[in-house]
Amino acid sequence: MNGSEPIIDLEQIDKTYLQGDLTIEVLKGIDLSVAPGEFIALQGASGSGKSTLMHILGLLDRPSSGRYLFQGQNVAQLADDRLSELRNRQFGFIFQSFYLVPYVTALENVMLPGLYSATPTRQLRQRAQQLLDQVGLADRMNFRPSQLSGGQQQRVAMARALINDPPLLLADEPTGQLDSTTSAGIMELLVEMHRQGRTVILVTHEAEVSAAAERIIVLHDGRIANP
Amino acid sequence: MMGVSRILDINRQLWRIVGMALQALWAYKLRSLFVVAGVALGIASLTVIVAAVDGAERKANEIVRWFGPDAVLVFGGNMESRAVGQRSLTLSYADADALRRSLPAAYLVVPMRGKSNQSLRFENRVVQVPLVIGTAEGYAEAWNWPLVEGRDLSAEDLARGAKVGLIGDNTARELFGARSPVGHTVLINKVPVQIVGRLSYRGVVSGSGSIDDRIIIPITTLTQRFNLNRKYFRALRVKFHAPELMTEHIANLRSLLRHLHHLEPGELDDFTILSSEEILKFLSMFKGGLILFLGVTALVAMTVGGFVLANLFYLSINERRMEIGLKKALGARNWAILCQVLIEAVCLTLIGALLGMGLGMALGQLLARLGLLQILFSWKVFGMAVTAALTIGVLFGLKPARQAAALNPIEVLKSAG
Repeated sequence: MNGSEPIIDLEQIDKTYLQGDLTIEVLKGIDLSVAPGEFIALQGASGSGKSTLMHILGLLDRPSSGRYLFQGQNVAQLADDRLSELRNRQFGFIFQSFYLVPYVTALENVMLPGLYSATPTRQLRQRAQQLLDQVGLADRMNFRPSQLSGGQQQRVAMARALINDPPLLLADEPTGQLDSTTSAGIMELLVEMHRQGRTVILVTHEAEVSAAAERIIVLHDGRIANP
Repeated sequence: MMGVSRILDINRQLWRIVGMALQALWAYKLRSLFVVAGVALGIASLTVIVAAVDGAERKANEIVRWFGPDAVLVFGGNMESRAVGQRSLTLSYADADALRRSLPAAYLVVPMRGKSNQSLRFENRVVQVPLVIGTAEGYAEAWNWPLVEGRDLSAEDLARGAKVGLIGDNTARELFGARSPVGHTVLINKVPVQIVGRLSYRGVVSGSGSIDDRIIIPITTLTQRFNLNRKYFRALRVKFHAPELMTEHIANLRSLLRHLHHLEPGELDDFTILSSEEILKFLSMFKGGLILFLGVTALVAMTVGGFVLANLFYLSINERRMEIGLKKALGARNWAILCQVLIEAVCLTLIGALLGMGLGMALGQLLARLGLLQILFSWKVFGMAVTAALTIGVLFGLKPARQAAALNPIEVLKSAG
């Protein structure tokens, strides 16, 4: 950890859901501080609350109570549109099921988050081409997702996560649907992205995958189990 | 400066969203096709109705211009309540004389009698005319129908029962081709009649054929040669000075005729007075019927088109939950999603409108060719079709669009994963 201001600072984050008459506490008093450039693995069994924590971290969900400072800014007070803007500029999302738009090409999928930013289209296209080249898909730019293998689709998704050059990457079980050889390639790429200076938060339930991280946070029953 | 760059930003965003919308339209071709077809049918009926109503209006104005705002046509018999056994030959030459004497404002009183479906022969050519009309002098003036050559029937022709006649443009063309008919003699059912004048082309098509298919001879000649009743005739054309007083003229005419026919108060008229106002009333009734009938049809068709759109969009939004949730997660604001769905809807309805207009005009051409309606294309039709399409698109697209914009990305991405 370097000494600079944390990029993410969670204080006593709770998340409860109402299910009928039942109140379900998914997260209980989460304290977490992430410094810029860290590589963190969020590890836990299914039902441990790691997905919910990931959604809160990624500004896709709001905590029930507690304080979330993102780059020193309290996000609880931000309007939905401002959160959208933050997600667009500051976060790169990588999902377990890739989530590519099925009817457009790999290149257009990579450009997608950029289309909601102010970056000129020509610049976006160039950058998307570079990124696809970096993930080894230079010859697949005009393929549709259905014409790509699972590993290739995830590479497209990773290139997409970088299109707006965000400081932070959130990867939710990025290798969950891939075989071990392909997974190794994806993890290598993720490590490479971290080496370029990005903060990476990786959510997984597999201990081997967490091995790539510098710090492992184990979630159990909505609490952080390791200090 | 901040404001300007923001506007430029929104502008760029909008164009990108339009691009995405078009891609989606192309990707979901079947949905697009059904929506376009649904809307096109509605717009087609709208096009037909607007064009038909315009056509009817133009025709009405034409008929009224030709009928003349300063004239009436009186028929024997009551057309509104045709009593059983009522005589329809009620107008007599004595009536006509009395009108000439007693109605100072009426400067032209022209009795008319017709004989339908006669064969006309010139040299070895034979044509059927739907109507041989017997009338008095001044036919061209009475009907505001100029002659292109020759002369009108004269008082002397009438007094003598002269075998002379005026010929309609179509009939002249059919019998004489490019030649002038004036001075030649034609046989109307073996009665020789010398053509003295030719009427100009009028081009009004009515139920019984073209108005230009006719021959006009003195009414005296018609009754003598064709052995018709010599005391009564069928119709009377009256023209008045001071057309601004038409209501009064018509009231005077009516009370005089009632007096001449010895009708008691409370008894029904045994004649019918048709004025240009009456014709307009009838035509506007016809137009009203047309608007109502076709309007209901168009409204139903467009509503159906709208519901087709709404339904298909609901299904489609459901099918595309992942795409929409993803876009929101990646930073698309709610308005961007709303706009995309609305733009998709409006693009389809606009394409439907253009297609529907084409379809409507084609249908109109067909109806016009069958002589059922006269169809006019106008920018009004275009404007209404586009407006209707936009309305359907926004009205029926709004709910699915809002539903899409309200999707919660975590719900969507969780369920898909």
